[in-house]
Amino acid sequence: MVKIKSKIEEEINAIFSSDRPWVTIVWDDPVNLMDYVTYVFIELFGYSRERATELMMKVHNEGKAVVSEGTREEMEHDVARLHEYGLWATLQRGDQPL
Amino acid sequence: MGNSATWGPTLMNQSHGFTRHGEELFVAQFSDSEKEVLINLAQQIIELLSERVDQHDQDPLAAMVGITVHDSPPDDEVLLRLLPNAYADGVDAAEFRRYTESVLRTKKQAHAMSIRTMLMSSEDGSIELNHELANAWLGGINDIRLALGVRLNVLKNSHEELELLAPDDPMRGVYGVYSWLGWLQGNLLQALMDGIES
Repeated sequence: MVKIKSKIEEEINAIFSSDRPWVTIVWDDPVNLMDYVTYVFIELFGYSRERATELMMKVHNEGKAVVSEGTREEMEHDVARLHEYGLWATLQRGDQPL
Repeated sequence: MGNSATWGPTLMNQSHGFTRHGEELFVAQFSDSEKEVLINLAQQIIELLSERVDQHDQDPLAAMVGITVHDSPPDDEVLLRLLPNAYADGVDAAEFRRYTESVLRTKKQAHAMSIRTMLMSSEDGSIELNHELANAWLGGINDIRLALGVRLNVLKNSHEELELLAPDDPMRGVYGVYSWLGWLQGNLLQALMDGIES
């Protein structure tokens, strides 16, 4: 019971937490074109071309990059849209190691 | 990531690709053989993404709101790449899949469908896309490339190795189409990006 209660508290804290604790990660992929990944970041997130290119290069060079942060629900929405356009994306808590 | 600029002309490279006309119009001209190949591949993606055969015995009310009985990742490698896990954790991934996979299949099918129906209704092979249709084509072409990429095993094989496939190797033809689609997607992207300030 104590365990369930702390789990619920954890969830409630997460919902109302102002530090937007979830992140969307895009992983490198040998098929997706560099320009395509940049374009998808611009279209889906409204990022500037400069920021989108920076994030694309981070994915390319480091194998992954955090592309958005927010609530769990927001990140699920982002991941679903990235999957629609064929990018390899996952979400997780922001305080966990990538 | 792949890079379209390094891919030279291929077996199929007969058209000039997409060019921008005015503010929001992207125009291309396809040969009969290019049309045929694209229609065919789009059709295969549509079929591949059809719901699993045992879908009929699911709860119709759940189906109406897009919930499927399936929560396990697809066994097929191509399908798994098109419908990937959203979480590293298996339980969370299954839960997410249950509520979203059906919608994702439908969206991807719609992208492939717009490629297929537009080409089928274009007698001379000319295609005009507005911004929204251009995005659908980009997504649709990308899904075809992802599917071919899994079959070509581009994860393991470098482009140099794939260039050296023997002329009679059936994979050589697949690689030709894969490269052509990368080139086509690259010039549609170029046309779209020309309108975006840096």
